[in-house]
Amino acid sequence: MCGHCLELTRRSLLAGGGAAIAAFQTGVANARVRPADMVPLVGPGFKPTDKDEQGLWEEMDRVEEEIAGSNLLVDDPKLSGYLRELIGTVGGPAAKDFRIYLARIPDFNAMMFPTGFAVVFSGLLLRMRNEAQLAGVIAHESGHFLRRHMIRSWRDQRRKTDIFSIGAMLAGVGGAGAGVYLGDYVQLAQLGTILSLFKYSRDMESEADAMGAKLIAEAGYDPMEASNVWLQLIGEEKASAAYRGKHRQRGSLFDTHPSDDARMADLRADALELKVPGRIYDNHRARYLATLGSFRQTLLDDQVKLNDPGASEYLIETLAQDGWDGLLRFYEGEVWRLRNRKGDDIRAAQSYAAAVVYPDAPADAWRWHGITLLKAGRTGEAKAAFAKYLTMKPNAPDAAWVRQMIG
Amino acid sequence: MKRFSTVALLAAALGISGCSSLGAGESGFSAYSAVNVHRTKVGNGNMTVVPPRPWNRHRAVLFDDVPAVEDWTLNGPYLDGVTFITGLKSGHFMVRQRRSTDQQVPKFRSDMTPPEIAAMLESLYRVRGGAVDFHTLSIQPRAFLGTNGFQFDYEHLDDDELWRKGRAVGAVVNGQLYLIMFDAARSHYYDAALPDFEAIVASARLRA
Amino acid sequence: MRKWGIVCALAASAALSACVQTKQYADPQFTLPQGSYKLLVLRPDVHVGSLTTGGMVEPRADWTEQARTNIIAALRAQQAALGGNLTIVERRNQLPGVAEQELADVERLNFAVDQSIVLHKYLGDYLPTKRGRGLDWTLGSDAVKLGEKTGYDYALFLHAEDSVASRGRVVLGVIGLAGCIVGFCAPNVGGAEQLDYASLVDLKTGEVVWFNVVDAASQVPGIKFGELRTPEGAAQMIERLIGRMKPGQAVRRAEAVR
Repeated sequence: MCGHCLELTRRSLLAGGGAAIAAFQTGVANARVRPADMVPLVGPGFKPTDKDEQGLWEEMDRVEEEIAGSNLLVDDPKLSGYLRELIGTVGGPAAKDFRIYLARIPDFNAMMFPTGFAVVFSGLLLRMRNEAQLAGVIAHESGHFLRRHMIRSWRDQRRKTDIFSIGAMLAGVGGAGAGVYLGDYVQLAQLGTILSLFKYSRDMESEADAMGAKLIAEAGYDPMEASNVWLQLIGEEKASAAYRGKHRQRGSLFDTHPSDDARMADLRADALELKVPGRIYDNHRARYLATLGSFRQTLLDDQVKLNDPGASEYLIETLAQDGWDGLLRFYEGEVWRLRNRKGDDIRAAQSYAAAVVYPDAPADAWRWHGITLLKAGRTGEAKAAFAKYLTMKPNAPDAAWVRQMIG
Repeated sequence: MKRFSTVALLAAALGISGCSSLGAGESGFSAYSAVNVHRTKVGNGNMTVVPPRPWNRHRAVLFDDVPAVEDWTLNGPYLDGVTFITGLKSGHFMVRQRRSTDQQVPKFRSDMTPPEIAAMLESLYRVRGGAVDFHTLSIQPRAFLGTNGFQFDYEHLDDDELWRKGRAVGAVVNGQLYLIMFDAARSHYYDAALPDFEAIVASARLRA
Repeated sequence: MRKWGIVCALAASAALSACVQTKQYADPQFTLPQGSYKLLVLRPDVHVGSLTTGGMVEPRADWTEQARTNIIAALRAQQAALGGNLTIVERRNQLPGVAEQELADVERLNFAVDQSIVLHKYLGDYLPTKRGRGLDWTLGSDAVKLGEKTGYDYALFLHAEDSVASRGRVVLGVIGLAGCIVGFCAPNVGGAEQLDYASLVDLKTGEVVWFNVVDAASQVPGIKFGELRTPEGAAQMIERLIGRMKPGQAVRRAEAVR
């Protein structure tokens, strides 16, 4: 029996005993880590005293400098300020020490480095349906920092390893020797692979989950959204793999975690346990979308252009659960167009036709609508669509070609 | 784009040596051969061009190449390159890829309009070339190989954090794609070799 | 097919083998900087770690600091002997009059150029149009602008790496295309534990005028070369890397004639 279970608090009993039930559901392998047990092991202004940890920090400083100077960073003060405020709210005691960078990379990923700087990939922003979800991921990463997982994991790996110098790993070729190593320290786009450096054990992930849930609940976000994030990610990976006819195996935040159902169950239990009756929890969806603004189109564009139709389709449908609009219909069309299988040209045409009905349809929707009409022999309508495109985007890059089509 | 397979091959080869082989130097086998200033066949031989000065042609490495595609460079593929596509048939890919790969470069289809061909090239850069950002600068009509073709200008940021710039001139002839594409580091290298590219394009002829 | 470095004849012999190779390339017209020149050294990249039994390199801040200090001191001493005026920039924001982004862009282009030099000059994948022509690469007008803004004559890009307690490393083998697309897919050159390179850019023209790689491998633990944590070791590395700088081919021929 789990020792924890005897420590049921009054609060969790008040929540309807959900916690007790959930604790048994996780099975023998892992008793759920309780959020209440998650205390930060790091306070404000932390600096390492052990030699190996100092070495790690020194390397990380260099990495951070590279990242801060990267061409791949999104240079939007509104978004940067928003993320900073967010991590300030859910970062725990170390929140004021954290730095957070947004990188223009379409992967679903976010990472926290041992020195307290976090990098969020733009792909994450695309997939978050509201602010609570984003806060959940950021808080999860903060949890790794606050519970000193990186250094623990690094030390663990010393015992059983085929990893080479940090320099080589950070140069983006994880697992290979340094070879002729020529300077530019970090390829930001490959940071996802680098984080195999910090393979967190299942226990560590459970700790971060619990800590993350606790941090966001304390800040007034609905902690249930944390488990929704993983639900969405798993769904996406399954869709992507199914399209290719193989098992889910994309490298992502959760590569090393076999038991996702258990994690989701744990997070649901955490959420039930954490909610204080009578308190209002919010997910701040409107605020999140307002902050993203026009950047959302960039995010969709980057994702769709990866040509991963399974994942992109799933993603668009998930976002459409909150309501279809011209933007989503247009990108749905783009997914079909780029997939280019038998019948996809018809599907794409239908999506473009649907998109242009909405007032928010992007200019490009009109151009592609025009091209599909042209191919269907509906020349008059095509020309009208092209004309509309040019009124919306008179200086479009392909304006010269489009004008020729209009004749 | 052929740089990866070459380096991987070299890696395998050199790794076997007990001592490092920095002295491999400039003799022995290189993946590049010289192209001199005279009319020469490119790709699968359906098209010929004349370079204005000697360039370096990448030898086909069997398991990665599509016969219709050929790469040239002046300073090395990290810095500049010209890619020739000669008679790519409808329903074929520009690069070899496994069906099970997560991210796919789309097939060429003979009914593709220039924006669609441009989109196919953009996919190539994003999915295979490691581009994290890609901007289309212009798509305009341009005569090529005696027919109505197009010119596509673009730039892209790659995951080595370097901006590169490119221009592709192409046309669909008898349902097959013919294209000459120039891609180089935006700083210095693009401007330096653009005149070469334009001369090569002007000299391009189809073989009867 | 593969040529062995001159010094590597040693490797062919007995058990205690060791191998140090350097090979310089220079512009045919390259003359050593002399008189009073201003040299900018950009963000020397120094790493020293401890190689654990499992083959992991554990980064050691104290050793890296030592090595960096020694390398910089050795560099200053060496350049002072030549009469140069040296400035070492550690962080991108330390160069007055030059924005961090500008400097970053020059470094990134330099990275691509250096990769090309190594690939096409050292690893055997030579470009026929450049064969036998010394060093034929440039950073172009961005480097010239850097020189104009800062008043420096040359820029030196330097990398030094060392791991103590040598061990053979696993050969890179074929890592797969994905790995090779990222930056430089480089072969692990034998059991290299100390790998240092330097490239010298003439900021009046933007050209890379001189390039050298020092690759010191010890196949047997205990035999160390130019141990970077000691001042002597660092001096030895700098001497090997930069000190034996030779003028370009055309200049040497002209001098030989005299």
